[in-house]
Amino acid sequence: MKKFRDIEQLSAYLDGQLSPSDSARLESRIFADPELDSVLSDLRLARGILRKLPARKAPRNFTLTRKMVGLKPPLPRTFSFFRFSTAFATFLLMLTFAANSILPRMSFGAGAPMVAQEAYGISGCDEPCSPSAMAAATEAPVVPSMELAAAPTETSEDTARVAETPAAKEAGNLSAAQDQSQVQSEAIIPSSWQIGLLIIGLLSAVFMFALRQFAIRKWK
Amino acid sequence: MDETALIHSAQNGDLDAFNTLILHYQDSVFHTALRVIGDEDLAQDAAQEAFISAFRNISAFRGGSFKAWLMRMVTNACYDEFRRQKRRPTTPLEPDAKQADGEEMESPRWLADPNMTPAERSEADELEHAIQHCLDALPTDFRTVVVLADIQGMDYSEVAAASKVPLGTVKSRIARARLRLRECLRGFEELLPSSFRLQEEGNS
Repeated sequence: MKKFRDIEQLSAYLDGQLSPSDSARLESRIFADPELDSVLSDLRLARGILRKLPARKAPRNFTLTRKMVGLKPPLPRTFSFFRFSTAFATFLLMLTFAANSILPRMSFGAGAPMVAQEAYGISGCDEPCSPSAMAAATEAPVVPSMELAAAPTETSEDTARVAETPAAKEAGNLSAAQDQSQVQSEAIIPSSWQIGLLIIGLLSAVFMFALRQFAIRKWK
Repeated sequence: MDETALIHSAQNGDLDAFNTLILHYQDSVFHTALRVIGDEDLAQDAAQEAFISAFRNISAFRGGSFKAWLMRMVTNACYDEFRRQKRRPTTPLEPDAKQADGEEMESPRWLADPNMTPAERSEADELEHAIQHCLDALPTDFRTVVVLADIQGMDYSEVAAASKVPLGTVKSRIARARLRLRECLRGFEELLPSSFRLQEEGNS
């Protein structure tokens, strides 16, 4: 049996992959050595049989569809601009809604106990008390201080009684309404801004849709 | 067919141009997959996968032999198929080609060829079965290079590019594969048509 190096050379020789000088050298060896010639015949036979193998045609067409390759229509550069502006405008719009609804409540919530105290006239406010609280305080019946001292347990009942008087109720309602209107008038983001953002978002979305449709139609 | 122009168009996303290339190469791609895998249905799957992969990666094609590049896709798809088979081995529902009594079922694809006589059909069928049996007995790496070189007629550099191995390895694998095939085919000497018995290609 010949060395594998020789067999490799013979196989390459058969395929014309040797340089002219190597081919000439190998040919002289083959001529002198019948065993090399026999191996060459074997290799040639194997190659010949493979080459005689009937070529099989494809049983069907392998052509691709756009769906198969997940192809999408090429969109113009402006598409990404409109996509960004739509997303950004929507985000800002949501932010303005959040700011207008959450922030005033936070400030209203912090001031609520003060308002109630002012309304019932039991606050410790010395100087700038609201006019409504002042009115309530003046209209409400004055409770003697001696009674308060003698019967401390009745204090809360008296206070409740004070609060139940129609004047105090009216004062409380008035104060709450005023605060509510103050909250509404003090919206952090003006509604004109919100409308502007809404228009920008909608217009960008419409342009985006139109560009996509145009690109798809052109692609088809 | 202006192959370069079609490739350029395909690189710009023109699927129709790529489909023209597919129609030109689909027979050799399928034939290669069939000889490497040895199963027609799996070979169809591999060929389809190869074309999809080729389209998706065509921007990576930097010139040279497009056929060799395409054959690399096919061999990759075949290797993927082998790996899939190894993970999930399947048993065909159809009866095996070889029946219980040892007689082989007549292949309908030869019956479909109107130009062949029954004797020629039988001869071609026997030859194909014998060769495929011997090809299947080769290690996958050897089978791939010998299919590309001897069945597809590619030169060594193209085979090296298609199978992603050095030229020296290609040379060695082809030589070893041919020797093993010759040994294997000796066992089918009786099955082989008379024209292939002890015939030397150089003399024909």
